[in-house]
Amino acid sequence: MKLRFSGILLGVVALLWVGPYAWMVLTSLRTLPEIVAAPAWPIPKSIQFDAYREVLTAIPVGRYFLNTTAMAVAIALLQILLALPAGYALAKLHFVGKKVAFALVLACLLIPAQVTFVPVFSMLGPIGLVNTFAALVLPFGVSALGTFLVRQALLSVPDEMIEAARLDGASELRIVYGLLAPMLRPTLASLFLFSFVFHYNDYFWPLVMTTDDDVRTLPLAVALLREQGTGVRWHIVMAGNVILSLPVLALFAAVQKQILRAVTARVG
Amino acid sequence: MSVRLGRRDALITLASSFAALAGAGCARGGKDGEASLWFAYGGTNREVLLSLVNRFNAEQSTYRIKAIYQGDYFEALAKLRTAIAARAAPALTHVVGEVVPYLAQAGTLLPIDETNHVTGDVVPALGQTGCFVRGSERPIVCAPFNRSTPIAYYNRALFDELGLRPPTTWSELESVARAATLRSSDGTVTRHGFACPIDWWFWVALVGQAGGTVVEDDGTPSLGGEAGVRALEFWQRLVHEERTMKPPPGRDYNAWQATNNDFLAGRVAMIWTSTAFLKYLETNAKFPVGAAPLPADVRRSVPTGGTMFVIPAASSEPERPAARAFLQWMMQPRQANEWATRTGYLPVSQKGLAELEASGYYREHPNDRVALDQLKDAFAWPWAPSLFRIQREAVQPRLEEAVLARRDARATLDEARRAAGEP
Amino acid sequence: MKPKRPLDPYLFLAPTALVLGLFFFWPLALVFKNSLYRWDMLTPPEWVGAANYGQILASGELWGTIGRTLSYSVVVVVLSLGLGLGLALALDRPGKLYAFVRGAVFSAYVVSWVAVALLWMWILDADGGLLSTLCRAVGITPKNWLGDPAVALYTLAAVSVWKITGYSMVIFLAGLQDIPRSLHEAAALDGAGPFSRFLHVTWPMLRPSASFVGTTSLILSFQAFDVVRVMTQGGPVKSTTVFVYAIYEHVFVNLRVGRASAMTVAFFVLLLGLTALQLLSWRLGKPGARRA
Repeated sequence: MKLRFSGILLGVVALLWVGPYAWMVLTSLRTLPEIVAAPAWPIPKSIQFDAYREVLTAIPVGRYFLNTTAMAVAIALLQILLALPAGYALAKLHFVGKKVAFALVLACLLIPAQVTFVPVFSMLGPIGLVNTFAALVLPFGVSALGTFLVRQALLSVPDEMIEAARLDGASELRIVYGLLAPMLRPTLASLFLFSFVFHYNDYFWPLVMTTDDDVRTLPLAVALLREQGTGVRWHIVMAGNVILSLPVLALFAAVQKQILRAVTARVG
Repeated sequence: MSVRLGRRDALITLASSFAALAGAGCARGGKDGEASLWFAYGGTNREVLLSLVNRFNAEQSTYRIKAIYQGDYFEALAKLRTAIAARAAPALTHVVGEVVPYLAQAGTLLPIDETNHVTGDVVPALGQTGCFVRGSERPIVCAPFNRSTPIAYYNRALFDELGLRPPTTWSELESVARAATLRSSDGTVTRHGFACPIDWWFWVALVGQAGGTVVEDDGTPSLGGEAGVRALEFWQRLVHEERTMKPPPGRDYNAWQATNNDFLAGRVAMIWTSTAFLKYLETNAKFPVGAAPLPADVRRSVPTGGTMFVIPAASSEPERPAARAFLQWMMQPRQANEWATRTGYLPVSQKGLAELEASGYYREHPNDRVALDQLKDAFAWPWAPSLFRIQREAVQPRLEEAVLARRDARATLDEARRAAGEP
Repeated sequence: MKPKRPLDPYLFLAPTALVLGLFFFWPLALVFKNSLYRWDMLTPPEWVGAANYGQILASGELWGTIGRTLSYSVVVVVLSLGLGLGLALALDRPGKLYAFVRGAVFSAYVVSWVAVALLWMWILDADGGLLSTLCRAVGITPKNWLGDPAVALYTLAAVSVWKITGYSMVIFLAGLQDIPRSLHEAAALDGAGPFSRFLHVTWPMLRPSASFVGTTSLILSFQAFDVVRVMTQGGPVKSTTVFVYAIYEHVFVNLRVGRASAMTVAFFVLLLGLTALQLLSWRLGKPGARRA
């Protein structure tokens, strides 16, 4: 009895969350006349890849994907690169103004991109940086959360270790990137994944910072597939959707554990 | 990386990686003779435009046009203004007519026609001649491109079956809509007689038909006075009391699209929309599509709509010759006619129009004639920089409110008038 | 530890300070400044004092926007929290099947908002959409999910719940894992039923997780934009014009940078308030956990 109930529950939950994906894929495999004739009939008459073909010819998917990935990777790497020395200073070194510096970093957690985009835009505009890769990457070069997490992780590294390295003659940067970074691998991996997924999916910032085809990202391009005026061609939009979602879903399937840790690492 | 990497080296590396990132996108700007054209149509109209661009690129080798899709009119316009502010605008794009005076006054548009080669042959009503094109000392900053008027489309099979004829007055519209509406036994409407996007453009048509003017020549937003109220109440009555008109859901072009879909699916017997969708609707309908002029109240009246080509001042200099060449080419009779006959927009070239007439095109395609004939009832928009704000900020959102949320028409328009007066 | 050289810490923090200063603090200051001007980004700005604030207050726009944003957020937070907790309790079981379903629920959180919004737009399509068709098939008159001003905001909230429930579920699952088995066993020995075990053992232990998820999702849902931009553009009427969308519309549609900045300042103040709430609830949450 109990088993049956939990079975039903499992089915319902699976249907609610897997169903929409299935619907997306099914729609993308149909043709427009078929959809117009019976929009909600689940089974395609025959599997058609026309929609994918059309998406691939209508927009340079490869370039957009590359743009998006390069942007997300660059942001994630830059964040790690900058968070390490900053976190080291905040966790391990004594200096005047440390408390204030830490408080200021934390304060940035409160300032979302939605608050700053207008001035950033009008700042980057006159110096010709709007519509560039730089406008997509630099504003996210520092993650306040990332700096915070790196600092927390470094707190648990014993001072003696660093002192020993110093005695061996290692420079401070060598200590940060050569000694501490490898010790923090799980934290950094989480940070990387979290940042990558967030920026790969980001719609807001690329939307307001770019107008040019050269730097357009995949989410923007897919949103534009829903063309106005002469009827939404849902099979094409859904094909675009599949193309957009598949890489992150694959990444998720591959490194589910790390992603889950990245998310839960935010507690506390 | 050397073990003894100094602090200094690392900082230099960091700084240079910043610089490299910053520079990565900087090397934009076209190759010689290349220009970008931002456009704002989807579907059929996009395909036609792209085929024209391809032909231009194939016919000559000096210039190359790169066409970039930027979403619908309003999305593309937002992008354009952003790009102007960031000084990264394309060399050629097209914008809704109502915004041209605003952009021109802000000094963001370049003169396009010092030699009169581009707009010399333009159909007067479509170039808003005497106002937008050649009307004063002002340099010409825009050329008509895809220009249209609203027309009525009806399901000819259904109209024949019910013995209906396209309405010529508001009261006929009411009775035709009633006759074509189908209700199930529990009273829910299964087919609406009439649908029309709750949009500024169609409201302006109604106001004109009721004898009013929306924006005076000096830019005063009179919003039609009593005629404005009458127009809005007409919609309210059809939607809420008669329940024969379907107000399509969605904002801006989402609603236009919903209107088309409803018509094609037979859920609505008659719609008002742009002549621009003529070919699309004719091709995709499973019934014969009839087109008819909009009805009259105290008079006939339609606005013109669609867009004008402009060359933003914030575009890059080397791109402009290509943009100008393409613009001139597009205004030639052959291209103007191809664009018109494949989409449903109006031909903008007088010579081209004469050719079409002579070739008997309009005898064969009476639906194409409707918008053309309506041009005699069209009025020109005033050259008022406030026009666009009046449309987008003051009136458009409030029309939806009045019709969908059923707010008092007079109070709504009074408020809109106040909002339109804001600097 | 003493830095090797006295300047080291400052040098280490310099890049971070540069980016944060340039892209967080300086823009924030500019927002305050811009809110005192009328500016369309095309022509020079013009000083107007507090007029922008006066306008958003007098037109009722500020309160309307706060109201809509709050209703959306409350629905999203309450439902995603409740559902996430329920799913965490139901799916906290070994086995591949359970792992798959957990993964499926969470995957929505990983997929982009754009994809989710487009997908649900199609499912919710008033005429050809799956949901409306299913409704008709079982004899319910479907609502115009995205076209009815009274419904659209809640439709968007429901879509957001679908997307982020996986997040709260995962946090609750992590919380559940931290509860020592011995506590449950002890309670079971004391004769506590499943419900009373949940009330007296599980829930107190999950309280910190709950207040964490609650406040983060509240702040995140305050920043909702993508789903609005893609699905409704703030309409019908103004029913889905939430805060960030209102700001976006002022800047990019109406070219009113001043008014947008005044709205942004209000938005920032609101976020500060919510964060204060977050800190407070953490402080309240922690002793509760200890007591258990």
